[in-house]
Amino acid sequence: MGFFKNLFGGGEAKTPALDAVYAPVAGEAVPISEVSDPTFGEEILGKGIAFRPAEGKVFAPCDASVDLMFDTGHAVSLVADFGAEILIHVGLDTVNLKGEHFTIHAKTGDKVKKGDLLIEFDVAAISAAGYDVITPLVICNTPDYTTVNVHTGPVAPGDLVLELGK
Amino acid sequence: MKSFTHVIADPAGLHARPAGMLAKEAVGYKSTITLTAPGGSADAKRLMAIMRLAAKQGMELTVTCSGEDEDAAAEGLAKFLKENL
Repeated sequence: MGFFKNLFGGGEAKTPALDAVYAPVAGEAVPISEVSDPTFGEEILGKGIAFRPAEGKVFAPCDASVDLMFDTGHAVSLVADFGAEILIHVGLDTVNLKGEHFTIHAKTGDKVKKGDLLIEFDVAAISAAGYDVITPLVICNTPDYTTVNVHTGPVAPGDLVLELGK
Repeated sequence: MKSFTHVIADPAGLHARPAGMLAKEAVGYKSTITLTAPGGSADAKRLMAIMRLAAKQGMELTVTCSGEDEDAAAEGLAKFLKENL
């Protein structure tokens, strides 16, 4: 797996500091390859991680500015203060819900801190409507990074899930 | 320089999936490719910039390709937009 680059390789004197992205939702963090939509699962949008949400709240995964809050509330893109371009997409094909079951708590251009509430969504209602609620988090400027470390497993909002190194 | 226009037919507009596929298509060309929508302009090779246009159904996109493979780029993107957006 070429993208899990060895942090300690290369004989460098110092390991460069990695930038951190934290879980935006409570639930289970899984490899992005588990997302059935190939746009995400095959990393067309970039590398990342996905979440099976246990609770319908999306929090800021790091200090960032809101680049675009989709007016449907089903997705948000953020530019991290350290430069990563992050897309959080709640569920698959949920653009078709046209905002139903989503409540927006931040708007395009807002400066947010790690842990700020961005979106609320109704997990049960979205599932009942026939949509997969799996929530990918993608680094859209993946080519800017040589290291993308992924930490999967059960998560609470704010737990470390991605480490990025240039 | 080659340019053309496309009116977005997808009822959901230029959302994440088509934006990602569009960026992937654009990266395949050497030309500089710029998208202009009512909301501004974007480098077609950068997903976040494309999404920021927040382009909706019925809006007109102008695609401008400039570089050594501009003819192929314009043709490829025109085909992509017709089929996907």
